[in-house]
Amino acid sequence: MRVTLFTFLLILFVKPILAQEDCNLTIRGKVIHAENNEPIESAFILILENESGAVTDYNGLFRVSNICPGTYTIKIQYLGHQDYIEKLEIKSNSNFTFRMAAEDISLEGVDIHGHQDALITTNSVSSIYGEVLRSTRGQTLGESLKKIPGVNTYSSGSTIQKPVIHGLHSNRVLILNNGVRLEGQQWGSDHAPEIDPFIANEISVVKGAETVRFGADAMGGVILVNPAPLPVKAIQKGEIDLIGYSNGLGLNAAASFTGGSEKIKGLGYRIQGSSKIAGNVQTPGYMLDNTGVNEINFSGALGYSNSRLGTELYVSNFRTTIGILSDSHTGNLSDLESIIENGRPFREAVFKYEIQNPKQEVDHQLVKAKIHYHLNDGSKLNFQYSFQRNHRQEFDRRRGELNERASLDMVLFTNSLDLSYNHQTRKNWDGAVGAQVMQQANSNIPGTGVIPLIPNFDMINLGIYAIEKFTNGPLELEGGLRFDSRHVEAARIIRGDLQERNFKFNNFSAFFGGVYALTRNLTFNSNLASAWRPPNINEQFSQGLHHGLAAIEIGNPDFESEQSFKWLNTINYNSNNLKIELTAYANRINNYIYLNPTEEQFISLRGTFNVFEYLQTDANLIGTDLSAIWNVSSNWEVFSRGSIVRAKNIIENSFLPFIPADRLESGISYQIASGSSKNNTKLSISNLLVAKQSREPEFDLAPAPPGYQLWNLGAQTSVNLGKNKLNIGLYANNVFNEVYKDYMNRFRYFTHELGRNVLIKLNYEF
Amino acid sequence: MKKLNFNLLILLLTTSIILFSSCESNDPEDENEGELITDVTLIFTEVDPTGGTVGTPFEVKASDPDGIELGSNPTIETINLGIGKTYRLELELFNRIENEDITEEIEEEADEHQFFFLGSAFVGSPVLTYVYDDADEDGNPIGLRGFVTVASTPTSNNAQFRLVLRHDLNKSYSGANNPNFENFVQAGGETDLDITFPLILN
Repeated sequence: MRVTLFTFLLILFVKPILAQEDCNLTIRGKVIHAENNEPIESAFILILENESGAVTDYNGLFRVSNICPGTYTIKIQYLGHQDYIEKLEIKSNSNFTFRMAAEDISLEGVDIHGHQDALITTNSVSSIYGEVLRSTRGQTLGESLKKIPGVNTYSSGSTIQKPVIHGLHSNRVLILNNGVRLEGQQWGSDHAPEIDPFIANEISVVKGAETVRFGADAMGGVILVNPAPLPVKAIQKGEIDLIGYSNGLGLNAAASFTGGSEKIKGLGYRIQGSSKIAGNVQTPGYMLDNTGVNEINFSGALGYSNSRLGTELYVSNFRTTIGILSDSHTGNLSDLESIIENGRPFREAVFKYEIQNPKQEVDHQLVKAKIHYHLNDGSKLNFQYSFQRNHRQEFDRRRGELNERASLDMVLFTNSLDLSYNHQTRKNWDGAVGAQVMQQANSNIPGTGVIPLIPNFDMINLGIYAIEKFTNGPLELEGGLRFDSRHVEAARIIRGDLQERNFKFNNFSAFFGGVYALTRNLTFNSNLASAWRPPNINEQFSQGLHHGLAAIEIGNPDFESEQSFKWLNTINYNSNNLKIELTAYANRINNYIYLNPTEEQFISLRGTFNVFEYLQTDANLIGTDLSAIWNVSSNWEVFSRGSIVRAKNIIENSFLPFIPADRLESGISYQIASGSSKNNTKLSISNLLVAKQSREPEFDLAPAPPGYQLWNLGAQTSVNLGKNKLNIGLYANNVFNEVYKDYMNRFRYFTHELGRNVLIKLNYEF
Repeated sequence: MKKLNFNLLILLLTTSIILFSSCESNDPEDENEGELITDVTLIFTEVDPTGGTVGTPFEVKASDPDGIELGSNPTIETINLGIGKTYRLELELFNRIENEDITEEIEEEADEHQFFFLGSAFVGSPVLTYVYDDADEDGNPIGLRGFVTVASTPTSNNAQFRLVLRHDLNKSYSGANNPNFENFVQAGGETDLDITFPLILN
């Protein structure tokens, strides 16, 4: 500590070097963590010979000017890291990258940088954490992510929300649950991600295509739900959350406890759990029948780290029961047309917690074992094995004893093995080569009394990839290549007739991107990436009634994989009082699979149904996102975030369905900071404007609803109770009880969105 | 240390390979589609004003061997009724694929099911009138049995006889006890059957 202070003083009082004719050289550089390549802010750079120095900025960049040619000893210091000393010969303007290794964990009182892997990408990454994440607690993952511009939701009523990134969702975005690809029945528009948002201490969105790193499907972007790293020293801390809300009379409770062993240094653990219960929710005019939800989740993690080795074992269980609005399940086309004409459900509902059919019961288990090992040359070996089991049951209102039986009952097992080797050369180059094996088995559980929507199948996917990054001061360039081979064997029986199909998909994907720090505050990212997605099993095999939509859907087993090319550009300005992020992108998707209405209708004894078929086309999605936060003074903050996306079916020259309308959210907050007690009280008001989606597809069951605006209020404060801290939040959403429908809700045809909701959130940290 | 880690890696690899090979999907099984209705039979028996049977009953059928799966369109026969006559109408529902009598199931859950009689035969300038002749435990009509009377001076000799079966509806909804309730959707529930039979009067 004394050394650091001394260094600091030294830098402050360094005498300006006398400018000489040939002493105009500049050393630029970047300081990063050797562990995970994240930039280090506030590291001290000293040039011992001439007592000049610098401090790294937010991006880990520094610059020392007016250097005469010669040989210098450069010394870099950063708290908790080993001093870095190197002799450098400077003949011309030079650029270096320095990697700092963490000190041994036996050092007391030093904050060790744990073995958490940061995602290193030249794509821009937007994250929510800390106070912002806390303010979203209790919401679905999709709803929480709306804090990030360009991210939206595609929902089926109030209880099922899927994240949409730049107009793409379901199998076109990838969710990583603590580093593991979430493998559920993601193809379904009414299948919400099986994730407990309470496990996260940070949720990040990569808006670029990251297929090379993560495999198929990462076409629109990647969502990373990351828990905090496990402790490597003897500490004990925990958190308790209690959230209550008025609309649906819901209650959320969550607790987590994290500890590090005193006896075995480097051993840490966490146990965590959360639960949710909510009843029927209310629109401003009426109650929505059977819209309750129950959820109970828990997870446990155990890790051991020393300076070379990092290990982690993680287990989680997710279980939910979701009520589906009763009137949303219609018997035939005339039923559907009647309820659409009515614009709201026919059934008058009363408040209750009880969930009846139709409902979904889903449970998801995840086991993950992860090891990495640092080799002598600074390179790293990674091993990760994960196992997932997803059990989905969907119940409909049926006659007699069938009502007790699920009409869709499927178990999906996923085994995944990831091996990679990360290397880093002394200065400029680092990268990774890796291989991934993923195996999946989907089984329908017999006894549903319904011909299964999708067949039983076995899938195996082999992927190999290489990524290399070049860093030179403010410039980072990155490129990667991947090859995947996927084999699928599917089988089902329809009335005694065994149908079998095997599929093989081989795909290359590649990306190239870069980041350039124009100034200390301004960085520019650009990334061009290809991605692929095999056709979903439902797009290949659907051959019948999609319950509830009064639609007969016909798949095509001969589909090819979708191929996309996404170009993402981001300008980031980050100064003390102003943060601006501007993103623009273009995404071209060839063989885009979509559901097309045919002119035909199918007549049965149950009535008439519209017939839809899955088709492939080429699609273009372009758009822009903007996020700006301006700290007007130490008390006042103004923020604004907005997004625009345009999506076209190029072959048909029409618009794609369910693309988010233009939206802009703006707000202002006032912070009452009383310095002595350190409890920060913040009041905020925000306004959300959502335009009408005027770019509608040629066929829709009903025209797009008009635009709307909502007002939300928030107040939060924290109280220090000794060493512990209590965070209190009070929020009111849709303050004026606005009556509106949202284009991105599949139930918009016959329901309005939720009315006013008042939430109280208590968070206790100990 | 390094060797230990290496061994650990080998162990984990071996374990994963074992886990991988043990995870396979089950063989598909044929489903018993107990819910389908493939055959609907309307049994008409002429009655005299006192309710006594006149002549022999006759059947009119609608059938769809594929249920609601894609395939052939349903076969729907024509109803022939005599002007001015009254008939007892009994309905029988059957699942041919699984050989199940659905009529029994409806009787067991009578409080959740109801038939409606619509189309130009019953609505607008009706040529037929329908009266329920059965009731569930709450005293609400079902429609498995009833009486159809043909007008003595019908405005037309042919019309559409639309039969709708709803389940899970609110049977005490205002107007729902009317067999010709056009706004039956307002009572909630879902449609199980919606068949339009051609009707000829002679």
